[in-house]
Amino acid sequence: MRRSYLGEFEEVVLLTVAVLGDGAYGVAITDELDRQTGRSVSISAVHAALHRLEEKGMLSSRMGDATAERGGRRKRLFAVTALGSRTLHDIRATRDQLWSSIAPNALPAISL
Amino acid sequence: MNAKKRLDSPEKPVAPPRWADRLLEWFCAPHLLEEVQGDLHERFERNQTQLGERSARRQYAKEVLSFLKPFAIKRNPTDYPSPFFLNPAMLRNFFRIAFRNLVKHKASTLINLFGLTLGVTACLVIYLITNYELSYDTFHPDKERIYRLVGDVKYEANDERHPVGFVPNAVPAAVRNEIAGVETVTAFHNIETDVLIPNGSEKPVRFESRRSTGNNADIIVADPQYFSVFNYKWLAGNPRTALNEPFKLVLSERKARTYFGDIPLQQMLGKEVIYRDSIRTSVAGIVQDWEQPTDFTFTDFISMATVRASQLKQDIDLDQWNDNWSASQAFVKLPQGTTPAQLAAQFGQFSKRHYAKEMKFWPSLQPLFDLHFNANYDDNYSRKAHLPTLYGLMGVAAFILIIAAINFINLSTAQSVQRSKEIGIRKVMGSSRNSLIVQFLSETALLTCLAVVLALLLTKPILSSIQSLTPNGLTYSLFSLKTLAFLVAMVLITSLLAGFYPSWLLSSYLPALTLKGQNALPGSQKGYFRKGLIVFQFTVSLVFIIATLIVGQQLDFMRNKDLGFTTNATLEVRTLRDDKSQVLAEKIKRLSGVDRISMQWFSPMGGAYMMTKLKYPGKKTVDMKSSIKVGDANYIPLYQLRLLAGRNFHPGDSLRELVINATFAKAMGFKKPADAVNQQLQFNDKMYPVVGVVADFHEQSFHEKISSSFIGYIPQLARNIGVRLTTKGRHADDLKATLASIEQAWNEVYPDNKFDYAFLDDSIAKLYEKEQKTAQLVNLATAIAILISCMGLFGLATFTAEQRTKEIGIRKVLGASVGSIVGLLSKDFLKLVIIALFIASPVAWWAMTTWLQDFAYKIDVAWWVFALAGLAVVLITLLTISFQSLKAALTNPVKSLRTD
Repeated sequence: MRRSYLGEFEEVVLLTVAVLGDGAYGVAITDELDRQTGRSVSISAVHAALHRLEEKGMLSSRMGDATAERGGRRKRLFAVTALGSRTLHDIRATRDQLWSSIAPNALPAISL
Repeated sequence: MNAKKRLDSPEKPVAPPRWADRLLEWFCAPHLLEEVQGDLHERFERNQTQLGERSARRQYAKEVLSFLKPFAIKRNPTDYPSPFFLNPAMLRNFFRIAFRNLVKHKASTLINLFGLTLGVTACLVIYLITNYELSYDTFHPDKERIYRLVGDVKYEANDERHPVGFVPNAVPAAVRNEIAGVETVTAFHNIETDVLIPNGSEKPVRFESRRSTGNNADIIVADPQYFSVFNYKWLAGNPRTALNEPFKLVLSERKARTYFGDIPLQQMLGKEVIYRDSIRTSVAGIVQDWEQPTDFTFTDFISMATVRASQLKQDIDLDQWNDNWSASQAFVKLPQGTTPAQLAAQFGQFSKRHYAKEMKFWPSLQPLFDLHFNANYDDNYSRKAHLPTLYGLMGVAAFILIIAAINFINLSTAQSVQRSKEIGIRKVMGSSRNSLIVQFLSETALLTCLAVVLALLLTKPILSSIQSLTPNGLTYSLFSLKTLAFLVAMVLITSLLAGFYPSWLLSSYLPALTLKGQNALPGSQKGYFRKGLIVFQFTVSLVFIIATLIVGQQLDFMRNKDLGFTTNATLEVRTLRDDKSQVLAEKIKRLSGVDRISMQWFSPMGGAYMMTKLKYPGKKTVDMKSSIKVGDANYIPLYQLRLLAGRNFHPGDSLRELVINATFAKAMGFKKPADAVNQQLQFNDKMYPVVGVVADFHEQSFHEKISSSFIGYIPQLARNIGVRLTTKGRHADDLKATLASIEQAWNEVYPDNKFDYAFLDDSIAKLYEKEQKTAQLVNLATAIAILISCMGLFGLATFTAEQRTKEIGIRKVLGASVGSIVGLLSKDFLKLVIIALFIASPVAWWAMTTWLQDFAYKIDVAWWVFALAGLAVVLITLLTISFQSLKAALTNPVKSLRTD
């Protein structure tokens, strides 16, 4: 598989950006991750992941407009690039293929 | 004051912790800062509404710290990289610019360079002296285990207990036997004698005693343990047996070469050296001289066993418990880990055991490092350094350096306006504040390095020119590692001291303002900081001036106060104290140009001083302690002591009558001196009548009160000769000729010995050596401080006059007189001087009264001294700035207003 490798956390962040669409920036992404996955991540980890993803070309970013909140500081808004979305699709396809190859009773879902 | 107007939100009541915000701004890459800080602030505000302020602040700090990651710290490479400010290319550029600037402003550069050089030189000189003093006896292995046996002594019941640095002769041996837990005890005695080296059939070669050469103590009688306490390198002989027998001698290598010349050391063993004309010792060992500074300057070690076997036993009674001579020294070496405190109890018992009678002696231990500094424990060989004086010197040096640094600060901040455009341009071209600071600091560092180089060149000549003020035998190396480290530290400290404030201030200019031509100095426009520094400078100078005046007054007072006797053209010939002295006296008496002579023990005043005890059996018997002056019937007329009552004693050949001083009469209980005449005094179990009372005269330095003293003639003690020369109608040349003829007489009587004499004035001046040194140092410091301050002032005056040319031009056009303009320019400075006077006066008053407390006879500190000092500084200030202000006031306004 010749594509740049994504870590598990990077994948989740990338997906979250996709979920948020237009308003994807540091704080919003962190909150959404919290809500969706139930794990509290530190804001600096999210920033680091976004930074890495942008370097890999999975994300593009632009500075938003200055608003009165946050002391007039602008937000950096992220969007998933074509490469990013291709990578996500690839990963999903691989997973689906693997799931479909598992024998029906090999992974009993235990619900307590 | 940082003039940056922050453009962010108006102050909110609650904000994240400032330090964390500052930290973030500092480490976070500029291109990420905005979004990161925005996110963090957003979360902070939300946390604050949900969780409360405290946990929100804590959370904020935690999050800031969590951003300490490579991605956030790494800077974005720009198209216009500004090189790191410590990059060699940048540094080269800094120093080039610095050099150009220094060359451009010649006047202020010279002022600063001169001041800094003086400051650094003062620091360096004083560092070398201090370092030398503090290195005394620090080279011994086991130095922390070596202690001197000292003690407190009380000779009789109503005496005061006082510390002594020596012990009764029998104590060291007893300590060795009775005190458990002492590793080694050694005793030695200082002796002073001429040395004879036999020379075949010729006359022996004589080496004068240190008493006449004035060298360091060199001859001791020591027991064998001396060499186990103090570590010497043996060059010949056996260290274990060298001093075990009587009449054995160990020499230091240099001394051995002096005695025997350049023969191999092994051949010197067994050679004969004669002490005290008859004590024949043979060399049993040669040790290497110590090269480091030490108080143990001994070079001839005679074996202790010699004492009992020779005539030395008349001087040194080794079994003596109840008398104490300063020549009798003892040292101990304690085992590893033993402290003197652990032995205190044993010494207490020791004292009880051996001193049950009248005389009391409490032994104790003095650490070796204390020996060079503690004047309470005196002895016959060590040179004491006065620690407070050393600290005072360091303080003075520091102050001089600070004054020089202040000049630098004042001049560079004053000139900063001229450089504001340069700074603006630099900032626009992308210079960071850091690199600007480094640029200005490099200017200071360059100047300081120059100053240090000059100081290094100056130190040697200065140290040799102030030799009288430096400790004897001062050795120093300008290029040792330690000195180098000190110099590097000096450069750093001085650069920061002088350069930090100006560079911080200059680099804070806002290019937007400076390039518009406005002054970018909102806070320091009034120059309060600069004024404060000037006040400080003048305060230091004033304190120095006042100190100079008062020290000078006290010295004058000591020189000119009536001592109670005459010192004019009087000298003392110190004979060998044998019967030949009488012959010499007769010879001198017959010389022309000699007015009068007296057989005496000591002159009325000088370093030698003897106390004795008398009884006055009046209504009830009074025990008197009194100093004794021994002289024949010529003594009182020769020194012109004033008789208050009675008469001088009659000439005779033994002690029959006494003359006492007024204090003695008072101590006997007589209000009127005349009443003491014809009373009987008991001295050495005999009764003597008092025949006269003389007015009090000074016997010791002015630190001591005049005590009771009496004068009598004891022929066997009066073996020195006091001589007064005729001065009437004579010139200095005649005095020289008379002195030469006295020397000739001496050589006839004592062909083997050096003519030993001293003028009374010189002996008295010796008592005040320390004060003289202090006075000279204070004068020097004052001169330097005033000089540096004035130069700074001159620079500032030049600068203000330049700045206000236009103002002055307009004032002149509108009809101001020259006088009013000079006044206008001088007023500002004079205000500062007055303020400084008010600060300096109490400080100086306190310091000087503390110094004067040491004197029993002293001047009163008068108010006019302070007024005079103030006046002097005002005059100096006016003189300094008048030149500039006159020049400014006399400039033709057409010239100054024509250009713009």
